[in-house]
Amino acid sequence: MPDVRENIAHSELPSAITNTPIRKRVTDLDHAGGDTGAMQVFASLRDANVVLDGPVGCHVMPAVAVINYTDAVPYLQNVTCSELSETEVTLSGTLGALKAKVAAAEAQGRQVFIVSTPVSELIGATWTTEHAHVPGSALFFDSHSLDDDEWKSRDRALLFLWQNREHFVTPAGAARKAAGRPLVNIVGPTYGNFNSYSDLAEIKRLVAGIGAEVNLVYPFEANSYDTARLADAAATIVMYAEYGVSLAREVGRPTFFAPIGLEPTTAFLRDLGAALGLGAEAEAFIALEKTTTLSAWYDIWRSTHSDFFASASIAIVAPPTYKDGLSYYLGEELGLPIAFSAYRTGPESSPNELVRETLCALSPSPMLVFGSINERMIVAQEKLPSRFLQCSFPGAVVRRATGTPFVGYAGAVWLLQCVCETLFDVLFANLPTSAVPPERAKAPTKDLMHDGSAAFASSGKGQNSVIAWSDDAKALAERTLKRVPFFVRVSVNKKLRSEAEKIARQRGVGVDVAIVEEVTAAYAPNR
Amino acid sequence: MCPAFGAVRNLLRMEDAMPIVISSGDGCLYGHTFVAHFYVANRPIYSPGVSSEIWAKGSAFDELRAMVYEMAEKHQPAIIPICSLCVSDTVGLPFDLLPKQIGNTEIIYVPLPAYSVHTHARAKDIVVDSLVWRLPPQRKERAGVNLLGEIFPSDPIQIDEVLRKIGTHVNTTVPGPRWADYVAMTDGALNAPLHPFYSESVKRMKMKQGLPFVEGAPVGSEGTYRWIRAVGEALALNPATVESVAREEQQRVRLAMADYPLSGLTFMVAGYEGHEFLLVRLLLEAGANVPYLSTAVNANPLAREEEKWLAAHGCTVLYGANFEDEINALTDRPYDCVIGTTPLCAHAKELGIPSIYYTNAIATRSLMLAGGVAEVLALVTQTVRAKGRYDRIARFFSADEAKPERTYTSWAPKIDLTSELIASGSL
Repeated sequence: MPDVRENIAHSELPSAITNTPIRKRVTDLDHAGGDTGAMQVFASLRDANVVLDGPVGCHVMPAVAVINYTDAVPYLQNVTCSELSETEVTLSGTLGALKAKVAAAEAQGRQVFIVSTPVSELIGATWTTEHAHVPGSALFFDSHSLDDDEWKSRDRALLFLWQNREHFVTPAGAARKAAGRPLVNIVGPTYGNFNSYSDLAEIKRLVAGIGAEVNLVYPFEANSYDTARLADAAATIVMYAEYGVSLAREVGRPTFFAPIGLEPTTAFLRDLGAALGLGAEAEAFIALEKTTTLSAWYDIWRSTHSDFFASASIAIVAPPTYKDGLSYYLGEELGLPIAFSAYRTGPESSPNELVRETLCALSPSPMLVFGSINERMIVAQEKLPSRFLQCSFPGAVVRRATGTPFVGYAGAVWLLQCVCETLFDVLFANLPTSAVPPERAKAPTKDLMHDGSAAFASSGKGQNSVIAWSDDAKALAERTLKRVPFFVRVSVNKKLRSEAEKIARQRGVGVDVAIVEEVTAAYAPNR
Repeated sequence: MCPAFGAVRNLLRMEDAMPIVISSGDGCLYGHTFVAHFYVANRPIYSPGVSSEIWAKGSAFDELRAMVYEMAEKHQPAIIPICSLCVSDTVGLPFDLLPKQIGNTEIIYVPLPAYSVHTHARAKDIVVDSLVWRLPPQRKERAGVNLLGEIFPSDPIQIDEVLRKIGTHVNTTVPGPRWADYVAMTDGALNAPLHPFYSESVKRMKMKQGLPFVEGAPVGSEGTYRWIRAVGEALALNPATVESVAREEQQRVRLAMADYPLSGLTFMVAGYEGHEFLLVRLLLEAGANVPYLSTAVNANPLAREEEKWLAAHGCTVLYGANFEDEINALTDRPYDCVIGTTPLCAHAKELGIPSIYYTNAIATRSLMLAGGVAEVLALVTQTVRAKGRYDRIARFFSADEAKPERTYTSWAPKIDLTSELIASGSL
């Protein structure tokens, strides 16, 4: 078994994944750093204990606070911390504190992964740890936390595990999957990955559907000693293009990405089937799905629901897999016009300021905005008439029920249902509301019926035509309407007009800019 | 939570402050941004970008200075607090080179290296200290009480009502949502730290402001009486009026407490802002048994009196909370309820002990005076009563899962179809 020092070199291996650019200024950072990404990979292994080499905040923030709102886990029980204090930072270095934590975790029979943090990297503890012989089986991972984003770090950490596969001791009695049905690896998810529980469930369903068997869900349902078993599979599925590619490349099996959309899923099933010699089974499964899972899709598609799509524009801000996947599925397959889309992370990612500017400048505003809490805040703060749907972290969410996938056929159905429901919701929010209970008649109905014009004039009925709108007011109303999604423009138009004229009538004046402003300010659709 | 977040959180809650967070790295900033957007405010969080290269070159400081000027000129906030976390504080950015003021904006450095701050509470203490230290000297004309503490928004209103009866009033509450709340301290005649928490700030306030201090809070019947009396004495108010108002308020608290007897119930309380001292006092007065109080605050002079009182009522205070000790203590004795941190509550729930998260459940309620009694004790009583529900879930997820207490028939519709069918002759 190679000793620790030899293994450390592997953590220097570059990953094919490119970082989110480091910007001079950041408003509302939307991705975590290398230490968090590495922790999320290692902690996903069942037999692991991660020791974060840093002050207590570097532990509590990702492993207690944030994890509670990304994964709805009270806290990660297999993550500990060297809890650096002033003494370690200024004088002694981190090794002493580390050794105690490593020993404690190893006493419980756990495979320890030491992960560097900004503080340990800054004070040069990385070098010390690398060159010290940490006792036992602990592995040190230099997370490049000052420079790498969470995605790149996840990718490097997965590769690191593969490079160290011989290091992990397989307990007696741990069985490999028997040769029978073709075996498939699923690489990803890890903790802190939006919607991954549902996506994973759907991919497993698809794999089983074509008659293949899951070899390993790595790292989420694996032990560290299972790593070498990745080689047993005939194919690898990478859940998210953001990480796992480097590992898949080294494992060297035909590799597929989890598909988003109808046609991509069909192609995925056919290609995976072909690679596994299960072509006929894949076809049979696709045919069966059309009458089961996808019957819902086909029914909705043939209903009037889809008539709204062409006028319901959307915006998408997400990490690459979801941004590209949603753009293709919602834009190309369903035909919702994509007003704007941006990568949340990765080399081509857009800074938040740009997202804000663009969303505000769009006219009409997109009806649906898919994004993170950042987009949610933009919609709220800028009073956009758009409806927000979460498709990315950051942003507290509970997505543990497995019925909300974005990938696969079930994902296509779920997203379609989501879009339709939200559009109905938008419609409801924009319907002109009649008074409840109805307004009292201004003049007795009897008089109105018999007495003609006098009662008619005092009733308020028929006065719409005589309320004058100033040119400015008309222009403002026009501008306001332009910002409203097409889908509900008629409703909003009615609402705006009736509200403005009601006020004008009460005051006995025509509709001026002030009244339109008053109405549009009070009327904040969709928030 | 990162200890430093205590500070970031309080500063982000200020309406006229625009904090800049200098993070250690993206992992650090992501954490702060994530929880800030969840807990604190729907508002942007500004930071200079950082990387190993930026730290090595020291260019973060240039960017920071440019940001400070731009933000001050464009938005003209009352203050721009500079929250310096672990790495920036370790590399020692030259914060003294930042201007103290730009126009009407105060630029205030807040040092928050988590490795020496250690606790949330301490970070909040640092914020108050940094801000108060910037205040002008105490004014000559002084009146009213400066309340100091993390309290429920309606608490100052309730307290003010009582103070007016004895001839004074609430002057300001710190930490507050505006810079003016801090500046107002210079008009006050008395400082009242309501929980043993802002100990360092208090130390320096004593050096700077020269005001009398009254410790403790109007919580529980004894606490309420004692606090009102102490304020009266410190401000030399009419003793007869003070005594009668103190008695009256004490009586009101007693009446309110009578509705929620907790005798025979054992609680575990773990908190981190000193607020938990007040909670335990209330629980003890209501008859509960609280063998010990685990607190993240360190032993400090502000806690001394309160600790003595708790000890006299059978409660030992454990400072500098240790999670492992708390977990072990869970099985020490049968607890009826745990009020603590997320991880502690998670463990307690595994054991079938009704539990609530301190921050989300307790810190969002008033504790003070008669009004506060019902809020907290009602919640606690309700939680204890839910024992059966906690037990059932704990049993389901334990090894005894095969022996459920209730069977399907407990939920089955109450329709006796068989008898119906027999009656109708179908069977």
